[in-house]
Amino acid sequence: MADEQYRLLPIANVVRIMKHILPPSAKISKEAKQTMQECVTEFISFVTSEASDKCHKENRKTLNGDDICWALTALGFDNYAEATVRYLHKYREAEREKASSQNKATSSQDKDDEESSEDNSRQPAHQQTDYEAPSPVLEFRVHI
Amino acid sequence: MRQARTYSGILSGGISGRTGPHLLPLARIKKIMKKSGDDVKMISGEAPIVFSKACELFIEELTQRSWMVTMRGKRRTLNKEDVTSAVIATDIFDFLLNLVSDTGNSVEAAPLEMDISKSS
Repeated sequence: MADEQYRLLPIANVVRIMKHILPPSAKISKEAKQTMQECVTEFISFVTSEASDKCHKENRKTLNGDDICWALTALGFDNYAEATVRYLHKYREAEREKASSQNKATSSQDKDDEESSEDNSRQPAHQQTDYEAPSPVLEFRVHI
Repeated sequence: MRQARTYSGILSGGISGRTGPHLLPLARIKKIMKKSGDDVKMISGEAPIVFSKACELFIEELTQRSWMVTMRGKRRTLNKEDVTSAVIATDIFDFLLNLVSDTGNSVEAAPLEMDISKSS
């Protein structure tokens, strides 16, 4: 069953996010946690397929953040798309600031390629995490 | 505060005991993305980051909708059937219908009308 766990997002992370919404006294059954894990994994696959189709049609090889945002809107997740577009812009801004402060620190020595060919996020491949997420105040409305 | 910080443990995909800037492990997200299709070959570094946000919103929405079902039943434990009901009641979650009906068939909501006679 260990293999199974690696194809899903970690349950503890999923549950932590569920608890953002639930009152402190709420309980979650184990099966509900597992179902949520499966659902969010399926969500990633579903949106990725849509984004990937778009890339393919446009003869692009690299799936980027804008493609994901586009796919979210195309699939009816408009409210997520708005928030993720904002998140993406802040991330890019942070990366630019980081890159320019690094350039100042190392002067001309380590001028990392600011423009990588297919990747407009400008980040080196081994670094994905130099961004401080905004505080979790979410601005989506659930239409019930 | 926009100071970027480096988190070393986040790509390991596990729980490192500290919360990095993203709530979900980027490497795992990337793995799932790659598995979603053969033509998904190259993924920019920012795509998993965008997903970490989108997944957070998705989990929150599905949880909120599920919890409403729980409350209607005057219960305090969110169970799998509540999640199933929320999926059925929400159009944009139609892609999950197979998933939630496959995992056990204790669906209390309106029966699904899936016409399989037309499929080849």
